Amino acid sequence: MTVHFRSTTLLGGIALAASLIAAPAIGQEAYRIGALNPVTGAGNTYGSGMQKSIIAAAAEVNAAGGAAGRKLEVLAEDGQTSAEPAVLAAKKLIEVNKVNAILGTWSSSVSLAIQPMTLASNIILMHTSSAPTLFTQNQRNLDWGFQSGSKYNGRAMAAAVKKEGFTKPAIMSFNNDAAINNVGFFRKAWEAAGGKIVAALTYEPKRTSYRSELQKVLAAKPDVIALSGYLPDTTIILREAYELGATAKFIIPDWAAGPALLKALGPDVSQGVLVYGTVPNIAGAAFKTYSAAYKKALNTSGEENVFGAQAYDMVISLALAIEKAGASADNVAIAKEIRAVSNPDGEKVTSFAEGKAALKAGKKINYEGASGPLDFDEDGNAVADFALFTYDKGQYVKRYLLQ
Amino acid sequence: MLPYLVTIAIMIGIYGLLTLGLNLQYGYTGLINFGHVAFFAIGAYTSALISLAGYPIALGMAAGTVLAFLAAYPLGLLCLRLRADYLAIVTLSFSEIIRTVLISEEWLTEGTQGLPGIPKPFSSLSQGNADLAYLALVATAMLVAILLMWRLSHSPFGRLIRAVRDDEDAVRAVGKDPAQLKIKTLMLGAALAGLAGAFYAHYVGYISPDQFLPLVTFYAWIALIMGGAGTITGAIVGSSLLLFILEGSRFLRDVVPFVSEVQMASLRLAVIGLGLVLFMLYRPQGLIPDRSQS
Amino acid sequence: MTEYINLVIAGTVQGLVIALAALAISLSFAVARFPNAATGDTMTVGAYVAVLVQAATAGSLLAGSIAAIIVTTLVSVACYFLVFKKLERRPLVASLIASIGIAFFLRSMLTFFLGFEQHVFQIPISRALNFSGIRIIPIDLWLSGIAILVLAATFVLLFLTPLGRRMRAVAADMDLARASGIRSGRVMIALWAISGVLSAVAGIMVGIKTVVTPDLGWDLLLPAFAAAILGGIGSPGGAVLAAILLGVAQEVSTPFVGFTYKIALSFVALIAVLIVRPAGLFGQPERVR
Repeated sequence: MTVHFRSTTLLGGIALAASLIAAPAIGQEAYRIGALNPVTGAGNTYGSGMQKSIIAAAAEVNAAGGAAGRKLEVLAEDGQTSAEPAVLAAKKLIEVNKVNAILGTWSSSVSLAIQPMTLASNIILMHTSSAPTLFTQNQRNLDWGFQSGSKYNGRAMAAAVKKEGFTKPAIMSFNNDAAINNVGFFRKAWEAAGGKIVAALTYEPKRTSYRSELQKVLAAKPDVIALSGYLPDTTIILREAYELGATAKFIIPDWAAGPALLKALGPDVSQGVLVYGTVPNIAGAAFKTYSAAYKKALNTSGEENVFGAQAYDMVISLALAIEKAGASADNVAIAKEIRAVSNPDGEKVTSFAEGKAALKAGKKINYEGASGPLDFDEDGNAVADFALFTYDKGQYVKRYLLQ
Repeated sequence: MLPYLVTIAIMIGIYGLLTLGLNLQYGYTGLINFGHVAFFAIGAYTSALISLAGYPIALGMAAGTVLAFLAAYPLGLLCLRLRADYLAIVTLSFSEIIRTVLISEEWLTEGTQGLPGIPKPFSSLSQGNADLAYLALVATAMLVAILLMWRLSHSPFGRLIRAVRDDEDAVRAVGKDPAQLKIKTLMLGAALAGLAGAFYAHYVGYISPDQFLPLVTFYAWIALIMGGAGTITGAIVGSSLLLFILEGSRFLRDVVPFVSEVQMASLRLAVIGLGLVLFMLYRPQGLIPDRSQS
Repeated sequence: MTEYINLVIAGTVQGLVIALAALAISLSFAVARFPNAATGDTMTVGAYVAVLVQAATAGSLLAGSIAAIIVTTLVSVACYFLVFKKLERRPLVASLIASIGIAFFLRSMLTFFLGFEQHVFQIPISRALNFSGIRIIPIDLWLSGIAILVLAATFVLLFLTPLGRRMRAVAADMDLARASGIRSGRVMIALWAISGVLSAVAGIMVGIKTVVTPDLGWDLLLPAFAAAILGGIGSPGGAVLAAILLGVAQEVSTPFVGFTYKIALSFVALIAVLIVRPAGLFGQPERVR
């Protein structure tokens, strides 16, 4: 029976090692947040920034005396943008670190995989994923989506395409859940308004060339191509489209754009590429606080990471909800207050300290976040303002707000 | 802490079953199967789809195991014609073909959206108890697999497949067909992988094609190599060690906060990579050596 | 018709990009007798060195390429001395597993020091030449030219020089080669050096066509292996031809099978060919062990 002996000693070894280095002494009142972010894997462009933003926001809350007197404590994990490691990480956060909330899961696959665990343990989950199932399984309002879902992305794209006067759009989508849903909702919105899609195609990641894909789409002579993908494939596709002399314009989401795309393509190729995205409230005070913290932690501009601002807002709105619900409130009671501190009809506040003071004074508040106004719809999905951006002579410029 | 350890133990069990299957194929018979994840995926998807359609979970798991078993047959036929090094690439390709099918056949698999909400057994129990019960189930499956494997390796069949590994001509000389033996072990190993896949699907509760990358195959190989090919204990020690490396780094981070998360992920991969090289150089027989091989 | 010609062109270019990797794999496969999974990540190292040196030297791709070739050659030869030489007399699985370990290790070092962000070669992007609808992208011409040049150089080395003769002798039968006085140690070093050079060039080509990320080489490994085996191990020309054939077949198949199954197509083709010809398209049956 060596089998048993060995496996139990090994398990015992894990247990011992874990108990020696388990979470540091925790005060009774601390509210523990698990930052489960895509530090590696497909979401790596954003993960570190999200994690640092969560830590910075928690520090800000603690500096203002904590939420309802409870200090926030952040435990960071790498979800690896992959379901299985994320499940193990979430399990560790929940069972070993005893977190009260998990913040900043990014891809739908990760959020879908850990949602049953967080629901079963009454843990608040704040994510940036868009899979429709995530919202339908959210019966107790414990789950909150901080990234405007596919529905809103699709509508924004349709609005932009219409406003720019295009009549023959084509669709190209990266083969994953989020990208397919984005263009799917674009198609829905566009066809509902009586429009027609001239060509639609789903492409696979990690190809060395997308020439035949482009050839197929361009054969339908579209005047604009709604391209839903990520930075590496978007870089290659836009470059090849230029090389092939395509005249159709492209409209792409902001997470595949930004300064990195400009750097990769240069001013000529990027000229006139349309970018839709949610507008962080750049002029707002919350964004300035976030941006300063981001710059300090990562030495790059927070504007480059839309999910960083969302991760920052997760902590602030959660802390305000704790503040409102009171020190002894459980997660269900806290989650109930998320809408109450974020949605309209209250005094607009732009920081935790400001909100805390207003709440103390007995006022209703409406947190205006770094990532947007942060008003949640009936599904618990934040509805943000969208805008159209473009590249013009090597500059990334905002054109106008989308309705 | 305990529920987390239970989860780790369940994952060790799942990787253990996967590795046991590979042990049968490579450790005993010498088949270089680099497409193991294909059978893991077939087991996971079959069981998930059947239980999502409302049939009992047990039926799904059984069907997943059987389908993986059958799916290995055509691959087995192919193996016979190929030299060992080609077999590695062909099986790897096979697993990528299966994954492409999972992505493409949306009517069945929901494509890249994956299958959420896969039913878990023991759902009437509290989460902690359900996990414990699940662990008991995985452990039982493991025990049965180990017993079968033990019986098998001490049976005439077991001696024959070892002989296939060590000297095919000798097998032919006693009038046995090495080809048939190879097909049988490939199928049996695939069945174990299918069962592991079914356990995986019902535990994680959400599966999508990107969970069935060749990396899973490599993990099984790593577990097998570290533990020791050709021994039952080795497969289990190996998968425990694998999980220990994968998960241990999380706890390391709690005590060494100056290493960033990105660097920790890199270090984890570095440890696995370097570990493989060092094992091959200095302890090719693994932690638990196979005494039947000189 | 134009459509198919353009697809053939697209496939040829993709095939050429993979051809160099396939050639590197085929070479080490033939002489060292195991599929070297570290080839992909050696390519990645080459691409990174080149793109970083180019950025540091105000855009000199030549400086970047030379630096990359030096580094990957060193990496490749070091792998041989530190690992593969010691595993020479062991079953091929030992070397295969060790090469996977090296692949993981190389990639982890890249991400540890450089992170995961994408890097891009600074190459002027220009419009395609248009011959009444048939489009040829200038950069593809350049890449094809370089690939053909490198392939030609490899052939000359293999078939027209004494070193090449010794290499092929070692590939055919190491013990016989030793017995006839060939110092196989030197031959092996030369082989690993060549494989390093090829990896660097392949990595740079992929990097120019796409973007440089830590997964660049690893992701190409399977298509390159497929080409190497389809072509027949020990047949470098076969590997190159098979890579191009697979590339063309993939792209020309897209109107019929779509853009997801085209990836599986090259694997199906590999399996199908091996059923008929277990030694590959251009391999010699008697070399099958």
